Amino acid sequence: MSKKREDQGTNLLYKLIGEARGYDDVIVMGRGDPDFDTPAHIVAAAKEAMIHHHADYSPPAGLPALREAIAERVKRVNNIDVDPASEVVVTNGGQEALFLMVLATVGAGDEMIVPEPNYTTYADSLDFAGATKVEVQTWPQEDFRADPALVRAAVTERTRALLLVSPNNPCASVISPGDMRELLDIAIERDLMILSDEIYDLFVYDDFAHTSPAALPGGKERTLTLNALSKSYSMTGWRLGWITGPADLMARVTELKAATTGGASVISQYAGIAALTGPQEPVEMMAAAYRRRRRLVLDALDEMGMKYGLPQGGQFVFADIAFTGLDSAEVAQRMLTEQHVLAYPGSAFSKDRKDYLRMTFLQPEDKLIEGLERMKVAMQGIMAGR
Amino acid sequence: MSSASKAYLLNWHKANRALNTPLPAQTMRHSADFSADEAISPLDERIIASASEAMEAGQTHYVDVPGIAPLRAALADFLNSACGSAFGASNIIVTAGVQEARFLTIQKIGELFDSIGVPAVAHPGVQKALGVRKRHVVSLPVDDARGYLPTIDGIAAAVADGCRLLYLESPSRLSGAAYAADEVAAICQIVNEHDAAVIWDQGLSPWVAGDYSSLTALESTPTRIAVLSDGWPGMGLSSWFLGAIAAPEEWVAPMQSQKQIMAICTATASQYAALEASQLYSESQAGRLAQLGQQREALLQAAAAADLEVVAGGALNIVALRASAGGEAALEKLRGVGADGADFGAPDTIRLTISAATASALA
Ligand SMILES: Cc1ncc(COP(=O)(O)O)c(C=O)c1O
Repeated sequence: MSKKREDQGTNLLYKLIGEARGYDDVIVMGRGDPDFDTPAHIVAAAKEAMIHHHADYSPPAGLPALREAIAERVKRVNNIDVDPASEVVVTNGGQEALFLMVLATVGAGDEMIVPEPNYTTYADSLDFAGATKVEVQTWPQEDFRADPALVRAAVTERTRALLLVSPNNPCASVISPGDMRELLDIAIERDLMILSDEIYDLFVYDDFAHTSPAALPGGKERTLTLNALSKSYSMTGWRLGWITGPADLMARVTELKAATTGGASVISQYAGIAALTGPQEPVEMMAAAYRRRRRLVLDALDEMGMKYGLPQGGQFVFADIAFTGLDSAEVAQRMLTEQHVLAYPGSAFSKDRKDYLRMTFLQPEDKLIEGLERMKVAMQGIMAGR
Repeated sequence: MSSASKAYLLNWHKANRALNTPLPAQTMRHSADFSADEAISPLDERIIASASEAMEAGQTHYVDVPGIAPLRAALADFLNSACGSAFGASNIIVTAGVQEARFLTIQKIGELFDSIGVPAVAHPGVQKALGVRKRHVVSLPVDDARGYLPTIDGIAAAVADGCRLLYLESPSRLSGAAYAADEVAAICQIVNEHDAAVIWDQGLSPWVAGDYSSLTALESTPTRIAVLSDGWPGMGLSSWFLGAIAAPEEWVAPMQSQKQIMAICTATASQYAALEASQLYSESQAGRLAQLGQQREALLQAAAAADLEVVAGGALNIVALRASAGGEAALEKLRGVGADGADFGAPDTIRLTISAATASALA
């Protein structure tokens, strides 16, 4: 990885996180870790598994029962048909799924088109693979829409794949059904693979709807789809995700999975079965909470005069702070040091997004309100000092 | 659909022989499967209690990339007390099983060197990890009579020839044979003379009943050494995928970045379970070894009766067998039951997991 990006990206975040830990009263609106603990029935299932299944063998692709539950889930939620035996691979979280999808589809000299800003790990994984990220910019004025015309213009002879993260992290845009069809048509025309990261698919707001490219005609055979239980079931510590895709490519993904980590903990896998097949009310409860919190955050940002792309899905808002005249790293630093509120600077996501801040909705409402009040105070200080 | 892109990808991956090396199961699939890296062990209920208590108390969120602090400290203590090393918690990365430890060390430490010396016979996970992203590999010749450990002469020649990073297993993951103290001292001298570096997989060392010599225990231990560990094997956690790397901090940093990229952190339930296992390990380890020793004896007798030659070993959890004259059919019979040595680089050898039932597979 280039030294430059390392400084801008993950390391900058770790520096802020490190400082935040030093404050007892810190309000974290940065990291994408839901504040809810894992629902109790899932923890109970894990305990059961410890007693009865602690030494079960799991093939690298995952326990058959979990793969079946995943196949049922992607059919029910995403309308994607997959064969659990050959078209599902269980991973150590969405993060490993992401890494494996990149390794499966690009190598040295290949290009992948990535709508920006985006989750930075994609850039890191592309670096590892020796492939090049070709950026297509998106803007708050268009609610961070990935414009198919711009994607089409970015395709070269070397383009092998197109990355679609919808709902997106950090900018919370959702690709519309029409745009998704157009993007898939481009992929078919130019013979590209699609990597579809759908980790936030259960969190979509207002009238927006989630579309899986693999569910559209002509989509499945060229699409690898990622999902995980981390965000939807508040299971970030369990490290459980998956990839689904066409059997021929998934056979390669399985080899890559075995090469990087061997398998996923069977205890986490049993917890995953309980999550997918058990009561879904906790997910609905969390989704309702995120809807309320999103409103709170947007109202506060409006009051502060911040511009943003409307969060159509996900758990964040990506706000434009250009009016402060300061780099977002500095704004984030001052918010943290002066008011003990952690938000992530846009420069951690992209060198071109120094004017943005990412805030999550992942705090209980009272804390979120308090955090927003403190942000207002910090912003007043920043504006007064200009 | 005809997709040239996909056909290209499939051909590219299929041609990657290293990546497609079959991996043995980490744990037995059923009671008559002896191909696994480790036999099934019972799980102490105190481990269940600790791990579930942590989960119930809300330890269900992301934790630090290199692992929870007390577990890193416990792993450092474990390695230091067993192998005479001097690691601190900051030298430790908790991994999602030993394969992630192989992958991180081979790929990220490997990045710092022009080539990596790898034993001609090693765990298939080594080839698999090498296959993900090509590295220049120098094959280290092994001694069949020494349990397939790389020869000291071969190591010396590779290093003298410019190969400055060695990947060594002691005990061997195929035979269980471990280097003796004088051999470890010789390796140390070669490494120091050429300022070389070592990835030292001592994951099976807890299974060695007698003395074990670690490359980390010498007065002149190489400064650039990364150690692979299976954590506390035999504690019933093999399906929980927990391993570790101990390394100098300047190596921990790039591996930690890579771990963030590919996994964020290791499953918290596995980490809390391992932390409890660290407390209980010494209670049961001697008994476990004594029992395995007996099971191994029974197995050796059955092997001799079947005209099978036992490859020189040491670790009590596995045994590698070859056919003596007249033993070919018996070896063939074990092929579906044990791990195929061909996947390790030693055709004509079968590795068996030692358990109460293994001897009966030879009957
Ligand atoms: C878009 C996206 N993909 C993948 C991940 C990885 O999530 P996890 O590995 O926790 O499942 C994240 C986490 O923040 C994400 O935002």
